[in-house]
This record gives sequence, structure tokens and C-alpha cells, in this order.
Amino acid sequence: MKKRLGVAILILFVALSAVLTACGTGKNENANKGSEGSASPSASASAGTGGETGGTNAEPFTVSLRHIQIGEAQKFRKAILDDVVRKTEAEVPGLKFELDGVEDQVNRFTKLPAEMAAGNPPKIFDLFGGAGDALKYAKAGRLLDVTPIIEELGIADKFLNLGQFTLDGRVYGLPIGGSTEGFFYNIPMFEKYNIKVPTTLEELEAAAETLKQNGITPFAMGSKGAWVPLMLVNTLIGRYAGPEAIDGFPAGTHAWNSPEVTAAFAKYEEWVKKGYFTKGELGLEYADMLNQFVTGKAGMMFDGSWRASVFKDPAQAGELTGKVGFFPMPPVPGGKGDQTYVNGNYSNGYGFSADLNERELTAVKAFIKNMYNEEMQLRGLLEDGVLPSMKLSGDALDKVEDPLVKQIMETMRRAGGAFSHFDSTVHSEVYKESEAQIQRLIAGRATAAEVTEALQKIQEIANANQ
Amino acid sequence: MKHPMRNPWIYTLFTVPTLILYGMFFLWPMLSSAYYAFTDWNGLENYRFVGWSNFAAAFGDPDFRRAIVNNLIFIGFSVFVQIPLIVLCALLIASVKRLRGFYKTTVFVPSIVSTSVIGILWGFIYEPEVGPLNRLLALFGAGPVYWLAEPEGALPAVLITNAWQWMGFYIVLVLAAILAIPRELHEAAVVDGANGWQRALQITVPLIRPLISVVVMLSIAGGMRVVDIVLVMTKGGPVGATEVMASYMVNEAMGINPNYGFGTAIALIIFAFALLLTSLYQLTFGRRMEGGQF
Repeated sequence: MKKRLGVAILILFVALSAVLTACGTGKNENANKGSEGSASPSASASAGTGGETGGTNAEPFTVSLRHIQIGEAQKFRKAILDDVVRKTEAEVPGLKFELDGVEDQVNRFTKLPAEMAAGNPPKIFDLFGGAGDALKYAKAGRLLDVTPIIEELGIADKFLNLGQFTLDGRVYGLPIGGSTEGFFYNIPMFEKYNIKVPTTLEELEAAAETLKQNGITPFAMGSKGAWVPLMLVNTLIGRYAGPEAIDGFPAGTHAWNSPEVTAAFAKYEEWVKKGYFTKGELGLEYADMLNQFVTGKAGMMFDGSWRASVFKDPAQAGELTGKVGFFPMPPVPGGKGDQTYVNGNYSNGYGFSADLNERELTAVKAFIKNMYNEEMQLRGLLEDGVLPSMKLSGDALDKVEDPLVKQIMETMRRAGGAFSHFDSTVHSEVYKESEAQIQRLIAGRATAAEVTEALQKIQEIANANQ
Repeated sequence: MKHPMRNPWIYTLFTVPTLILYGMFFLWPMLSSAYYAFTDWNGLENYRFVGWSNFAAAFGDPDFRRAIVNNLIFIGFSVFVQIPLIVLCALLIASVKRLRGFYKTTVFVPSIVSTSVIGILWGFIYEPEVGPLNRLLALFGAGPVYWLAEPEGALPAVLITNAWQWMGFYIVLVLAAILAIPRELHEAAVVDGANGWQRALQITVPLIRPLISVVVMLSIAGGMRVVDIVLVMTKGGPVGATEVMASYMVNEAMGINPNYGFGTAIALIIFAFALLLTSLYQLTFGRRMEGGQF
């Protein structure tokens, strides 16, 4: 009996250890990875100076890099990223980037939040600034404080605006570019129907009416993702309630249900009722909006300046290549504040995991050095039409030839200032409600007044919980 | 001492690994879910206990109440529309002699295709301008219907797609049961002068009742946890028209402003509903249909 019992216990022990080993593998790997940097001083020392000396004895290591440059419209931006990756890999011995391309919305609202919750985000990842993204993760201690790095690289004062990534004076992410939102329009179509570029709201609505009379959708729209119509709403709020309103909601100085903000939603509602947007917009994606515009089914499209590169690429814009113009939202009658302000965002860029070993930190430093410099910023502007997030010299800016990008830059230059998008200023619960409410408005299930009333209710709760 | 297997401790020892696995992968996640359902954990920051307020908030939210109604519509549609059609199709296929294998395969194929593919495929069919469905309707003079973009059209569109995906699977199940009925019974009925319909309704259907009962129960459970087709086709939209409990849970627990505490509360509610409905069915119709076998 004793012998058999012994055998039984032995079998059990083997089985148990097999199970537990399998369960523990992930942790062990991490532990090994973690110790690579700290427990092998030779490796980290050589990596630390690797950029300059080109150490040869480096053990290979990988750094995960999540980007959102997938699809045809992002190919220019992806090419820039690829070059930075190549250059950084060459500088840091043993480094291999593991690129992981994920669609923007999936990354921002599904994958990254889940990874942040589990505490295992990629080492470098695409990140949005603002209260709902970077600042929330920074508060939870998930993001690397890049302040010392940008100071060491001497680029700390080169950025135009780090506000959406700054928490208590520390910087937790770096914007890759800037953007403004306005109307793209089909130049040949405007000429055909004798429409001049609108400079007042009246002219804009007259243009919309003319297009509609001719069987063309005035404004392309794809509202399945509610952030798309909210771009236009945001700028309408900036016009009707003034540029300060965007920051005023979380501060409590501006109310959603004020007559001015309600007027902005009411204008949107009016345009929906007049049939100015693509029919069936609630079933259309963001990409469908571009298709509507490029195929000439719609004459105008309210979108971000990042779309500019599409219109110089015949593969994407087809016959419309080089025939697209840009104008900002015209002033509105009775609008508050400076009516020349435009939307300006410096919110999309890269963030870095707080959980880095020494070698990974070296890789991150090299990545920042290679990505955030005048050369890459200029390439972004020239190749991709993305406005720089860093100060560029006058000579560099003179190199811009794309007339559309020039037009966009001119628009920004003439503007009295810029207001953010409220998605980066208000609490996430308020933004979430705004997505639900705008779709209700579009579907005719709520009026502008009901929408702003509902938003103010959530805003007050959020402000009280602050 | 020649019979160590009579020693209860040995049994205990041998069951320990399984119990550990069971505890790790079933009990622990379930208990921790139950725990988080009473907190306001957002996945990142410290949480606090909020009592039953997550559950109160869920039932207080008109969107969630509509999601419950939509789940019930899914169940109703599968029990009262799909299952009669499934039985009818199975009877028809069983009665043909030629190409039976072909029909069987054709109806079965959708259930092995990935839901994402089906979502995209039917997205084309429902496309307002060039989609075949609207083109067909246009032949009869109907204007374009924005199937997935209008709150009124989206739910029927998703229901039909979901039915198309899963009917074949059940047809094959029912067909197998029909084909297992001894031929002598039918032959005897023919001798007694029964026609095809009488045989189908008086012999085949009563004999496959136990299986139909299982199909009904699976449909109820399926209707309670349906989510993938909704997320692929409409993400619960437009304006919550196709929101079901599970898609509501996904949208609340993840996405903008994630709230895992609230999400796990919803998960518990779904679990409770599914348990309630299936046991209600088992205790009432199910037991009767199976002749008290269970």
C-alpha cells in the first residue's frame, strides 16, 4: 500500500508541477526579460551608448510598437514610421521593433484601455492626449514621464503645444502633428454650379442649397462612428458659444444647455432636416464619407486637415486629385467670441509604457530622437499634409508646394487662435453621452434642446465628482 | 492494504489537479466578477464599493431596458419564426430522394462561416444604393431602404442575418432525427391511407419532439447571449435600435469611458436571465415535450 500510495503521490506531483509550470510560463518570461536589462550591466551599458559607439556584443531584444497607420490613406505616414524604425534599429544594437498596426478607433477605445487596465500596454503606442486618454493613464501611473528625455534631447521647447499631454507640469506623450478641421470642397463642382467659396454662413447654406437642387449631397457624412459628425458640431460650438466654451464645460463656466450651445446643435439639426448630409449616414463609416466626396456624390466634406494627403494621390482621389480646396467654418450671425478662431488639435501622437527596462528606455529615447525632429516633421508636412507639432524654420515651411496644404496653413495663420476638440477637454462620460446624443439627433429621436439638456446633466455629475 | 483505491484520500489527491484548474478558470473568475459588480472599478484607478447601484443603474437606463426587449425579440423570433421554418425545411429535405446531400450541405454552410464574414456579406446585401435587396425592391417601385442606418430597419435586418446563419445548423440536427425514424412506421401509415402531410404532422413531428425541445432551449440560450453579429453589423446602433444585453455590456465595460464594475454587473444580469428563462422553459414546456424524461 505504502509503495502504491507513494507512486500515486509522485504521479500527482508530476501532474501538478506540469500544470503549474504551464501557468507560470508567461511570468517567467517576463522576469527573464526584466532581468535582461538590469542584471546584465554589460548589455545595458553598451546599449546606453550604443547609438554613438555601435556596440557589437548586444543580445537581441524586441520593443513592441503599436501604430494606427493602416490602410491606403495612411501610407505616407506609415512610410515615415518605417524609416524611423529602421534608423532606430540601426542605432541601438540588438533592437528589433515589433510593429503592431491596429485601426485607430479599435486601438483608442478597445485595445489600449484593456491593456492599460491589465497593465501590459505595448512599450511604444499611438496615444491621444486629453482628459479621457493620456491624462487618465498618466494619473494611473501607466505612462512614461518623457520630460527628462525631451529636455536631454533639447526639444522640450520645440513643441507648439503639449497641453493635452501635460499633467502637473510633466509631459506624458508627444504629439506627432497638428490638425485643424474645416470644409474640403470639390473645386470643379463649385465652378460648374457657379458657387464661390463661402465666407459667411449664409453663403455656405446657399452653396448647400444649390448642390441639393442639383441632386448632389451638400455635405458628405458617415455617422456610424459618432465622432465624425461631432467634428462639425465642435466647430459650430466654437462659433456660436465662443472658443472658450470648449474648455468651459469641464470648468463649469459654460453650460451645454445654454442658448448658444443649443444653437450649435440646432444648426446641425436644421441641416439634417434639410437633407444636407448623406442619406443613411448612420449606417456609414468614416471611410464611406471620403468615398462620397471623392466620387462626386457630395460637394463638401467637413474633416480634419490630415485628409489632405489623399487629394494629391491619384490612387485614392482619382479624378479629384489636386482639385480640392479648403475653407474654415465661416462666422455665424450672433456668434460669441472671435469668429476667426479655428479648431486646432495637437492631440494624436505617441505614448510610452512606464514599465521599461534600461535597454527599452534606450530604444525609446532613440525613437523619440529620430521621430521628433525637423526632418521628420517636415516630411510629415510635405508627404502627408500633416501640420507640424513642432516649430519649424521659415526655410523649411517654404518647401510646402501642395496648394491644399498651403491653403490649410494659411487658414491657420489667419485665424485669431485655436480651440481644441471637446473630446480632449470633457470627461469621458460626457463625451460618451455626446456620441449617443448626436446619433439620436440625426435619427430624429431628440431635438437640439433635449440633447444639450441631457449633456448638461451628465456634465454636472462629472464636475461634482471631480 | 491491497486496495489503495478504497482509500478516500487517494481519490482526493487525484481530484486535486482538476479542482485547482476548475477553481482557477471557473470559480475564481466568477467570484471575482461577482465581487467587481458591486464596485465602480474602471480598470485603472482605485475602486470603491457602490452596493447595488450598478444593478439599479442598469435597470434605470432606458437603453438597457430596450436591450432586454431586443433580446426577447431575438428569442421570440427564433422560437416562433425560425423553428417552424427549420422543421419545415428539414421535412422537405427529408422527403426528397435526389440531391439530399447537396441541400444538406448548402443549408449547413452559413453556420461554419465566420460571423465577421457573414456581417460583411449581408452588409453588401443591405447596401442602400447598389445592394441586391434594394435593387430587387426597386423593380417593384420601392425607393431605397436604409436597412442598417434606420432604427426601424436595422433590427429586422440583423434578425434575418442571424437566422440565416444558424438555421442550417438546426436543420441538419432535425434532419438527422427525422431520418432516424423507422421506415416501418411510415409504411404502416401509408397502408392506412395517410397522405404526406398527415404523416409529417402525425408521425414525424411527434417523434422528433424531444429534439425540437432541445432546439428550443438552445435557441433561448442563443437569443440571450447573441452579440457577435450585432457588433459586426451595427455595433448596437443606430441609436441603440439593435442593442442587446451583451453588446450593451461590451460598450459599457470597454470603449469610451470603460466601466468594468458596471460591465460585470451586466454580465451577472445576463447570466441570471439566461438561467431563469431556460429553467422556466425546462420546468414548463420542456418537461412536457420530452415526456418527463429529464
